[in-house]
Amino acid sequence: MAYKILIVDDEDDIREVAALSLESVAGWEVLTANSGAQGITRAIEFKPDAILLDVMMPGMDGPTTFRELRKNPATAKIPVLLLTAKVQGSDQRRFADLGVEAVLFKPFDPLTLSTQIAGVLGWK
Amino acid sequence: MDLAEQTALTEALDRMWTRFLPEMRARVAILETAATAFAANTLTVAQQEAASAAAHKLAGVLGTFGLTRGTELARELELMYSRENGPDPAFGARLTATAAELGALLESRN
Repeated sequence: MAYKILIVDDEDDIREVAALSLESVAGWEVLTANSGAQGITRAIEFKPDAILLDVMMPGMDGPTTFRELRKNPATAKIPVLLLTAKVQGSDQRRFADLGVEAVLFKPFDPLTLSTQIAGVLGWK
Repeated sequence: MDLAEQTALTEALDRMWTRFLPEMRARVAILETAATAFAANTLTVAQQEAASAAAHKLAGVLGTFGLTRGTELARELELMYSRENGPDPAFGARLTATAAELGALLESRN
């Protein structure tokens, strides 16, 4: 099945590699946003099956964006996976406590990113 | 994913690497500048924050392009620059050497 996924990350290189990976390895439909605010707008328009959301972004960061998505009935039920380069245990626990589906770590392997996401979400 | 598709993905990643290399070099330059300033005892808070952010970004992306060692080095620098009162003076030489090693790693991928 061609799932639709929204990638929200302010870093062009990460956003583009993740998009390439999910499109070419899994054949998913990918839309991107370069900020939390743009991510919320695109989530409402695009109605993705899942959102891959960066943690550290200028302006609205990942956790704040996640809370805004949960407040909006149009996006409240979309599964969100946080993507972070933070590896300290305290950060990981704080992110997991937000209620996201999973916390994935940078750097990721472009060959296996889609498998990781599909595994978390129970996608075939 | 068959071999031809894997090859196509690898080639696409290589093209992206070439496109983003100037940005990676700019991040390493921030780290080199910060290390030089630290050695001269002139590191400002703004330089320290910029170095921490640059190291964080490099840590997140280099491994994705196969430079696992680059991610390790960048993480080390991020930890050093994210200390509240600045890097430990005992690690001054390490800041310079690690930034230089990162720069060399970037060029080695071409």
